[in-house]
Amino acid sequence: MTLYHFGNCLALILAPYHMAYKYSGISEYATLSKCVYAGGLYIFTQLCKMLLLATFFPDTDSNYITGQYNVFLEILKATVDLADLLGMYFALNSVPGKGHAKILTSAVGWACAEVLVSRSILLWVGARGSEFDWKYVRSCAESNVALLQHSATAALVWLWTRSDLPRKHSPIVVSLLAITPYKGLIEDAIGSVLSLSAWAMLGLKAIHTTAISLTALGMYAVLAQQIQ
Amino acid sequence: MWLDEADGFAEIFRGYLPYYLLVALPIFIIMSPVNPVAASHEFSVYRMQQYDLHTVPHGCRSASFNLEGRSLTSWSTSRHCVVARVQDITIDQFMEIRAKAGALLLVLPKNDTMLTTEEKEHIQLLEMAMIQQEVNAPVYFAQWSPDFEDIIRDLQHSFITDDRSGTALEAMLNTVSSNGYQIVVTAPTPQKMDSKPVTLHGKLVGRSGSANTIVIAAHYDSNAIVPELSQGADSNASGAVAVLELARIFSRLYSLASVRGAPSLLFMLTSVGHSLNYFSAKKWLEEQMDSTDASLLQDVSFVMCLDSISSSPTLNMHVSKPPKPGGAAHSIRSRLGVAVNHKKINLADELLAWQHERFSIRRMTAFTLSSLQTHKHPSRSTILDNHSEAHAQNLVDNIALIARALASHIYNLTDEVSDEDAGLYDDALTVDEASIKHWYKYLSSQPRSPHIITVSPPTAGVTAALERTLSRYMDVTVSIHAVDKREPEYTLYSPTGAILYVYSVKPAVFDLILTVAIAAYLTLVYFAIQLFPRFYEEYAKVVTGKSKVQ
Repeated sequence: MTLYHFGNCLALILAPYHMAYKYSGISEYATLSKCVYAGGLYIFTQLCKMLLLATFFPDTDSNYITGQYNVFLEILKATVDLADLLGMYFALNSVPGKGHAKILTSAVGWACAEVLVSRSILLWVGARGSEFDWKYVRSCAESNVALLQHSATAALVWLWTRSDLPRKHSPIVVSLLAITPYKGLIEDAIGSVLSLSAWAMLGLKAIHTTAISLTALGMYAVLAQQIQ
Repeated sequence: MWLDEADGFAEIFRGYLPYYLLVALPIFIIMSPVNPVAASHEFSVYRMQQYDLHTVPHGCRSASFNLEGRSLTSWSTSRHCVVARVQDITIDQFMEIRAKAGALLLVLPKNDTMLTTEEKEHIQLLEMAMIQQEVNAPVYFAQWSPDFEDIIRDLQHSFITDDRSGTALEAMLNTVSSNGYQIVVTAPTPQKMDSKPVTLHGKLVGRSGSANTIVIAAHYDSNAIVPELSQGADSNASGAVAVLELARIFSRLYSLASVRGAPSLLFMLTSVGHSLNYFSAKKWLEEQMDSTDASLLQDVSFVMCLDSISSSPTLNMHVSKPPKPGGAAHSIRSRLGVAVNHKKINLADELLAWQHERFSIRRMTAFTLSSLQTHKHPSRSTILDNHSEAHAQNLVDNIALIARALASHIYNLTDEVSDEDAGLYDDALTVDEASIKHWYKYLSSQPRSPHIITVSPPTAGVTAALERTLSRYMDVTVSIHAVDKREPEYTLYSPTGAILYVYSVKPAVFDLILTVAIAAYLTLVYFAIQLFPRFYEEYAKVVTGKSKVQ
């Protein structure tokens, strides 16, 4: 709409990231460079994924026009997102320090890079135009949920790398990790079955993410106590 | 590794980064395109016509605007563009909008044939009222589309009003929930068009020795509030089609020396009609009368103008002087069996009533045949004057009637003819129904406003089609007239159409409310992060089975 509106959206996107970095205690480890490194890994991972998609998957842009929706192909494409987990694993490995610092640093770096690469362009082009649309505000709110989501994923990957993970937790961690790439697909499916509005979809995403986060947090708490 | 060194580097950078941003952001903003996003809606719209007649301005005087859209009930200042259906707006409302509003956008009915008679009458009267005077605000017309329907509905039910709406909270909620529209038309400022009206005429020469001439004339332009949408089926595609058909019938009769009639027949099609005071006919007459060889209009028996002859099966004869018994006009009248409608020429009027008055001023016997009772009938200048099958059938019948009357006048036949003669007569005078209907449909599918036909060259478009057809029956002369440079009889203005963009926007207050909401949300996030350690302790207690936590 206006520059002011753009400022609004920017505040909604960036302030939570800034607060997560500043007040969670990771800034005391002076790990800005590690955040940047995680962000770089994110971009590298996305490039690899794009290369994979472009090489091995048929061109589906024409399907957009015809309105066809190939479920199998979508699932296959989501499977490529497993590469994200690999990227996250490298990011975690590169950060020294205690568990929670590792997790938060790579999650914040990862999510920041995502905002920078995929959302900021849309905002810059869209939210400054004279046309108003709720979707820009929604996309900003969504990026807040994404931060939570990436933290949960990072925690899960970290848990998975631990050899002292309680045996009974291991299947939960593995199954949650396996589901992660298909999260978007599952949410879309639920949304279309219940024919939810865009705002309800956002709510659904938030609830889903919170549930996964709390599970991950619980397992982390158990492990953290064991270490002590 | 460079990343390890970067920690120190980042520390330095952190202090200066905000200042760099302070410089860089404005540069980015200046560099990026002014309007980076396309509008969600784009329509092609038609501008209300604009012309000067004898330097008196008529119609819409401006073209561009960028204003907030409002409905008929909620607009208040010149910063608003009123959007309405053409059926909904009353003449009083239009007058108020003309005086105060910033712009007007009227959406045409979805389907003309679905309109009730009252609605049609209303639209015609509205058109007349609109064109009477000049309008300083831009006025545009748009074809119906579902998107427009949505926009109009949104605007009608919008709560964005300037007057107090209940409590402050209510007003706040309204600004968040309702949609506003910014309506933008970018068009060049109105400019004079180079208008070159033409007259087509062709002559069928009668038997030698008689210099008597009958003139059959019609104008083929149309007039409506929107040049691009003035189809003008009845006024005056019908007259032009009749001239073509009469030319065809009589060219066949005149091609044989044995059945050639005594008087010569002059067929005339003029490109500017009642909306611009029959300018083509006037100029053409001046040229013919002033030329040294005035043979074309010597000894004119009568001039028959055809105007709007398809709206009903009955015809009226409009004259400026009652036809004298024994005269040629009287003979035609009695053969047609039509009512005479006498109206004196009033030169003080802005417009002449019928085309025949141009000839009557030059002291020729002239009359107009029309289905309309009066020249003031609103159906002569309306966008609703469209093609219809019923009208096409009326036109066929009327042309047959006129052809018969004309033939019986030319060959001076009385009613007492033998059956055998009648058979021959019928055969020679049959009208070609398919051709009439085809031409009627073609002409009424073309916008034929003077803004369009007199601006395009005579070798293109409708003029060229008419010329080609008429020249199949006789030699056709195309006279191109020019408007006086110093004292123009009329001036036409472009543009006739434009592209309209509709942006959905929110009121300025909305952004402030959004800021407050975002600030509240961020405060919540801040406290959530602050309280997270305590929450984690409690949560860990629950998860690990209430065992000790350090």
